[in-house]
Amino acid sequence: MKAIHYINQFFAGIGGEEKADHKPEIREGLVGPSLALNSMLDAEVTHTIVCGDNYMGSNTEEAVSTILGFLEGKEFDIFVAGPAFQAGRYGVACGTICKAVKEKFNVPVLTSMNEENPGVEMFKRDVVIFKGGKSAAKLRDDVKVMAEYGNKVLTGKALGPADEEGYFSRGIRSQVWLESEATAAQRGVEMLIRKLKGETYETELPIPKQDMVPIAPPIKDLSEANIALVTSGGIVPIDNPDRIQSASATRWGKYDISDIENLESGVYKTIHAGYDPTAADLDPDVVVPLDVMKEYLREGRIGKLHKYFYSTVGTGTTQAEAARMGREIVENLKEDKVDGVILTST
Amino acid sequence: MKLEIGNFQVNDVVFGKKTEFSGGTLTINKEEAMTFIKEDEHITDLDIVIAKPGENTRIVPVKEAVEPRIRPDGRPVFPGVTGDVEAAGEGKVHALKGCSVLGVGMHYGSFGDGLIDMGGEGAKYTLFSELINICIVADTDEEYERFEQQKKNTAIRMATHRLAEYLGNTVKELEPDTIESFELEPVTKRKKEINDLQSVVLVMQPQSQMEEIGYNDLVYGWDMNKYVPTFMHPNEVLDGAMISGSFMPSSSKWSTYDFQNFPTIKELYKEHGKSINFLGVIMSNLNVSLEQKKRSSIFVAQMAKSLGADGAIVTEEGYGNPDADYILCIAALEDVGVKTVGISNECTGRDGASQPLVTLDEKANALVSTGNVSQLIELPPADKVIGELEALARDGLSGGWAYDEILGPSVREDGSIIMENNAMFCGDRIAGWSTKTMKEF
Repeated sequence: MKAIHYINQFFAGIGGEEKADHKPEIREGLVGPSLALNSMLDAEVTHTIVCGDNYMGSNTEEAVSTILGFLEGKEFDIFVAGPAFQAGRYGVACGTICKAVKEKFNVPVLTSMNEENPGVEMFKRDVVIFKGGKSAAKLRDDVKVMAEYGNKVLTGKALGPADEEGYFSRGIRSQVWLESEATAAQRGVEMLIRKLKGETYETELPIPKQDMVPIAPPIKDLSEANIALVTSGGIVPIDNPDRIQSASATRWGKYDISDIENLESGVYKTIHAGYDPTAADLDPDVVVPLDVMKEYLREGRIGKLHKYFYSTVGTGTTQAEAARMGREIVENLKEDKVDGVILTST
Repeated sequence: MKLEIGNFQVNDVVFGKKTEFSGGTLTINKEEAMTFIKEDEHITDLDIVIAKPGENTRIVPVKEAVEPRIRPDGRPVFPGVTGDVEAAGEGKVHALKGCSVLGVGMHYGSFGDGLIDMGGEGAKYTLFSELINICIVADTDEEYERFEQQKKNTAIRMATHRLAEYLGNTVKELEPDTIESFELEPVTKRKKEINDLQSVVLVMQPQSQMEEIGYNDLVYGWDMNKYVPTFMHPNEVLDGAMISGSFMPSSSKWSTYDFQNFPTIKELYKEHGKSINFLGVIMSNLNVSLEQKKRSSIFVAQMAKSLGADGAIVTEEGYGNPDADYILCIAALEDVGVKTVGISNECTGRDGASQPLVTLDEKANALVSTGNVSQLIELPPADKVIGELEALARDGLSGGWAYDEILGPSVREDGSIIMENNAMFCGDRIAGWSTKTMKEF
């Protein structure tokens, strides 16, 4: 059995922030944390891949394709990244590369992060991410948990549910036979008795909290109102200056529209990968209706059109990331005392 | 109302000269039993086969399961079905335990039919692998539905009820090994120490989605699509007032055997007088339109409230569209202050990533989960098949398929199978048997 391990420039001993642009490299044998991994995993760690966190963050496509190129033709039964602890960029890098390796080579991939790491929310549905410590003091513990699970995977042993194994749920619900052999009737009646007594009980199907936003009261006088345009439909200047991702977006952009009358084809386009872009590329106003809003402004139907429009991509974007971007955009809108927003999707 | 079930433990079932029960062995004169079944002229071809736990035997397509019983006083075991409409739930009934009568298609299956493996890896998926099964394997003259995916399976299902009563006759005059007693005083006539306990109702939602008569569960022989919720005594359920239907995907079904032995009722009885005051059963239904669903939830919540229920258990015979009834009813009960627990299965898809119920409501904050209908199950060939294996792939059983570009057909040339849990006969044991739950991975 063989394994390959991904770590960042810091844990490879190359350097910290100043070396975070380090390009991907593959080394034979063990570097830093892979010593611990190799000692605990029932597989030989044959290679260690090292990549700078900033390089992975800023040149994701290149970094991923270089690393996948390294792996081409290599024999490995499992791929491990991290642990990344609370280091945000490292966590995102571990998630990114694990997901890509799983898709390309169809081998088990594992990583570990602290619950505060943004990589958890971004990748927990795609990758087994163990619940790791906050800092490198937990390195051996975090590696051990990954290695123990990895050993079960490698030998085909039965795998327990996420909370027993210690990883973040991937949102997969699967049936298991209870060792206690408690029947549904016994569990149901016991749960009811506890509920009636006001004691704690654990539902077997937690219903996710619905985060409902109340509908805002109507704007009293539109002719006095300051209106802004926001979209999750991916309309951007043609060179996509903020490099907003085409799916699972984590970035948004704001673009000055004060001096233009509409969004011209060839100057603006959509980078959204979740719908047919033909119509939007031909006339970006169909997604962000700047032309109509300018007409309304001239006619006095609205008091003011906010100076920028804001854009991101909604497809595959997690609720947590969407909420964060929304909060950031709102700060901009509040500064200009925007009264109303037209939010368009695709 | 007091019901006494006299139990006779069946350790073996064999064919022989005389149909009788003696020393734990049920002997069946096969020829006579076949003649009895064939009194229904719609049964055109027939065999009776015995399947025992541990055998490497696969049974498919299974349409119904019934526990053999008899009422010593001559009333029908299934009122309105095997005889006149008479009150059930009071008096004595004798039961042959550890065995069941199965209705099996000799050739053809339908949407709600299921599969049972008596041994090997597949045995863990159904309760019926633990019972000695007396299989009626039959073909019928119901030509109008022979090639339909939805079948009423009337002749075969009714044959199982009739044969169950016929076999029950063997213990009509005998003294039972043990007697189980089920008694509840009238709701307003209970002792103070019982009235002082928290009062609980069981809300049952049996299958009634088909607009056309003949597919749905029956209450005293009455089709439950044309029905509104009613207060029932739990003994009526245990005593043959309820008959299973022929529609829901099999793993989500309650067979008649399930009604006769309903574990959630028995568990509530166990706690009655100790930790709870078990008021009784509100028998609801599962019709398809939203208006019908709302109407039923209004009836249920009102009855629970008027009866003074502090708590309720809601359980549904189905998944998918009926989840709307299930969640609506739980929310309606919570809205009137009745603390509620739900018992049902989930449909999270083959990859486990889908929303588990069709509708969700935060008020449903205490749920017991009994399985995933769409879990893929792959099983090796069996030595013997009772029925026709090809039915699983060919006839539109809810968990089988004729062709899949990745998985291939459900039934392979060597007799091995791949199917969804959906087609495991009463596999999610929602009546309360299930030792399965759902976990996050």
